[in-house]
Amino acid sequence: MFFVGSFFLFATFLITTCIFVIFSKNPVNSVLFLVLAFLNSTFLFILIGAEFVGIILAIVYIGAVAILFLFVVMMLDIKRTTLMSNIKRYVPVALLFAGIILTEIIYLTIYKSSKSNPSIITRSKNNTEQIGDVLYTKYFIDFQLSGIVLLLAMIGAIVLTHVYRPTIRRQNIDKQNSTTATERVKLVKVNTGQGIEND
Amino acid sequence: MSSLSLEITLGVLKIFSFVVPVLVSVALLVYLERKVLGAIQLRKGPNVVGPFGILQSFADVLKLLTKENLLPSSSNKFLFIFAPMLTLILSLIAWAVIPISSTYVISNLNIGILYLFAVSSFGVYGVIIAGWASNSKYPFLGALRSAAQMISYEVSIGFVIITVLICVGSLNLTDIVESQKNIWFAIPLFPMFIIFIISALAETNRLPFDLPEDEATLVAGFFTEYSSISFGLFFLAEYANMILMSSLTVILFLGGWYPPIDIFPLNVIPGIIWFVLKVFLILFVFLWVRATFPRYRYDQLMRLGWKIFLPLTLVWVVLTSAFLFYFEMLPK
Repeated sequence: MFFVGSFFLFATFLITTCIFVIFSKNPVNSVLFLVLAFLNSTFLFILIGAEFVGIILAIVYIGAVAILFLFVVMMLDIKRTTLMSNIKRYVPVALLFAGIILTEIIYLTIYKSSKSNPSIITRSKNNTEQIGDVLYTKYFIDFQLSGIVLLLAMIGAIVLTHVYRPTIRRQNIDKQNSTTATERVKLVKVNTGQGIEND
Repeated sequence: MSSLSLEITLGVLKIFSFVVPVLVSVALLVYLERKVLGAIQLRKGPNVVGPFGILQSFADVLKLLTKENLLPSSSNKFLFIFAPMLTLILSLIAWAVIPISSTYVISNLNIGILYLFAVSSFGVYGVIIAGWASNSKYPFLGALRSAAQMISYEVSIGFVIITVLICVGSLNLTDIVESQKNIWFAIPLFPMFIIFIISALAETNRLPFDLPEDEATLVAGFFTEYSSISFGLFFLAEYANMILMSSLTVILFLGGWYPPIDIFPLNVIPGIIWFVLKVFLILFVFLWVRATFPRYRYDQLMRLGWKIFLPLTLVWVVLTSAFLFYFEMLPK
């Protein structure tokens, strides 16, 4: 009873916040609702006993990704009208993805749920250990591949955004620290009425 | 009374037995800070309200409570009021998993350390929402700075925690403390201990890393527009976070409730007292650092986080795991 009740509570919140993500007038509010959506999916994971996945989802998506979204969205000067004028262009792609995901959900609910129950996660070991057992052995290749994908994304982002400007004066801290007084300061004997020659 | 309602009552009492001491020690910490700073700068510090001025913080709280709470007319009202609440809530719910002694903990979670890490990484939302909802220049700049700063230092904190976890083999905070019965992790992992303390300073926005509230350039940073008790909540949360990070340092590196050496006069003192003493030691270091070091410049702060701490901690993770693997000391 508690399980089912909490499931429907969090699932309802999840769907409601997702709807608000789409229909919020202010993009910052959208990102904040997205954070709530992530939080509710964390609760759902914890509810089926996958607390490790749930908390990692919270750390990665709420603690890092959504903050960066918020960071970017806050600094952009987005006008609602320009957003709305472009929105029709994305409809076909959005429908395509929605269709794929809907098919997956229908497939899973019809063909899988009858064979296995939601509490498939065994209680004999805690699920951090269970993930650790298979992540670096059975799924080693997948793990490495996802690492490479992330590395590519990182390098791509740097290549796209980094512009080398030779005219910028950069601070070289090692160079600053390694200079001595004799390189910078010179003791000059000044004769009266003559001044110093510039060298 | 049925068993369920009895259980709930006991649970609520247990939660209060954590929250009330934390809030009281926040008040005492503010007093301690002003006294320590006073002593370091050859002043007296607060000495009028109560004996030795010990009731000064309570007087300050009363003053804050009676002030008018201003709402800037151009602010986002809901988020403006919500941000300080969120900050304080996050700094208090983290105490749910902190083990004060071997048995005294609200919830002995299997993934306690991850829970703590998640809650501390949410802390930035309070700051960034406050800065944005104020709809004002200085708070916004403060919020942006703080978001960048907290994310940067979370990365190195994460790697430091991973190093400790490799040595322990469990994510449970009680297990982490118990594996330090013979030797505290501060000794074999000394560089990580130092990095953790420095990152904790940055994570709690304390001097020398208090750029989000840099009064010389940003008035008061993200809480410039806040007044009365909503300012008070930020203030409470900052100090509660300091105590939390100190407790985390004690749990990860200073052997929690264990005495320094397991010999007669030391091991009869109860664990809770050892824990509190160690937390006080770390808090004193926080205050000492505040009185000693000038504030970092923003680019220096980022350089320290990304170019010095990140490579160092990354190498140390590999080094520790290689060492433990080679000598077959990896925990089962």
